[in-house]
Amino acid sequence: MSNSLEQSFVKQLKENQNIIHKICRLYTSGEDAHNDLFQEITIQLWKAFPKFRGESKFSTWAYRVALNTAITLYRKSTRTVATTDMEGKKQFVAPEDYNFEEEEQIKLLYKAVQQLNDIEKALVFMYLEDKDYEEIAETLGISEVNARVKMNRIKGKLKKIVNP
Amino acid sequence: MTEELDLLKKAWKKDAHSYEQVTENQIYAMIHKRSSSIVKWILMISIAEFIIWSGIGFFTVDDNYLKTLEIYHIDKLFKIITGFNYAIVIVFIYLFYKNFKTISTNETVKKLMSSIIKTRKTVQYYIWYNLTMFAIIFIIVVISQITYDPNLNSVIENTKEMNPQTFWVIIGLIYFALFAVTFGLFWLFYRMIYGFLMRKLYKNYEELKKMDY
Repeated sequence: MSNSLEQSFVKQLKENQNIIHKICRLYTSGEDAHNDLFQEITIQLWKAFPKFRGESKFSTWAYRVALNTAITLYRKSTRTVATTDMEGKKQFVAPEDYNFEEEEQIKLLYKAVQQLNDIEKALVFMYLEDKDYEEIAETLGISEVNARVKMNRIKGKLKKIVNP
Repeated sequence: MTEELDLLKKAWKKDAHSYEQVTENQIYAMIHKRSSSIVKWILMISIAEFIIWSGIGFFTVDDNYLKTLEIYHIDKLFKIITGFNYAIVIVFIYLFYKNFKTISTNETVKKLMSSIIKTRKTVQYYIWYNLTMFAIIFIIVVISQITYDPNLNSVIENTKEMNPQTFWVIIGLIYFALFAVTFGLFWLFYRMIYGFLMRKLYKNYEELKKMDY
C-alpha cells in the first residue's frame, strides 16, 4: 500500500474516531476490551480502505465496517457483559447543569443497552446516531419494516429493564 | 414509549466528544498489527486442513503400503481413488478461494455473515467428503483384509474350533470400534475448533434471520 494512501487513511480515521469509540462503548465494557475492539476495527477499516471510493462519507462507511467487525468478525471470547465498568474510555466531566437523578437514569440505560444482543445493539447505535430506517435496514441487510418492528421491540425491552 | 431511548440519545450526543483521543501515531501502529478476526482464523485453519488431508495421502504411501495393497488386490483401485481425490481437492480449493474472496466488510451485516458461513461450509463439505472417503476405503480394506491377509487368515485357521458366529461377531465389533473411535475423534475435533470459532457468528446470524423472517 502506498504511503499517501496510508496518510490519507490515518488522517481521516483520526478525525472520525469518535464514531468508532461509540461503537466500542456499546459493544465492550472496560478499557482493555474497548482498546482491543478499537484496534481490530482499525485493522479492518484499513484492509477495506482501498475499496472505499468516497461515494459515501468516510464516517458512514467507517461505522458500517465497524459494526460488521463488532458483530461478525470480532473474536474476543473473554468479552463479558459485566455491568461494573460501563464508563469505557469516556472521561467524566461534570457539566454545569449536572442533574444527579437524570445521570443515574442514564447510567441505568447504558447498562440496559449492554444487556441487549449484538444485533439489537447495532439498531440502538444507529437510532442514537439519528440514522433513518432506510439506512438501518440497508446496513443490516434486512427489510425496513422489520427494522422498525425490531426497534419498537427493543424500546419495549429497554423500558422493562429500566422499570421492572 | 420512546422516552428512555431519547433520554439516552441526549446523553449520547453530550458524550460524543468525551472519548480519549487516539493519536495519528497510534493509528499507524495499529494498522501494522495483526488482525485476530474470525475470518483470519477460518482462512488459516482451512488452509491447514487442505494441507493435512492432502498430506495424509502423500506421506502414508511407502513400499510397505504398496505391497500390502497388492496383496489385498486393491492396488489398481487405489490408484484410481487417489487420482479422483486430487481432482476433488483442486475443485474444493477453487471453491474455497472463490467464496473467501467475496467476504467483504463493505457489505451489509447479513451479507458478510452469509459469505463467511458459505466459506466455512465449503471446508465443511470437504471434511465430510474426506470422512465419507475414509469410511468407504475402510470398508474396502476390511473386506480385502479378511479375504487376502495371510496373518489374519492364519488367525482364522487357529480359531477354527471357536463357534464361527461368535468369531465373526468379535471381528465385526473390533472393526466397528476402530471405525467409531477414529470417526468420533474427527467429529469432536471439528466441533471443538469451529464451535469455538463460530458460536457468536451463528448466534447473531440466527438473530438477524429471525428478525427478517
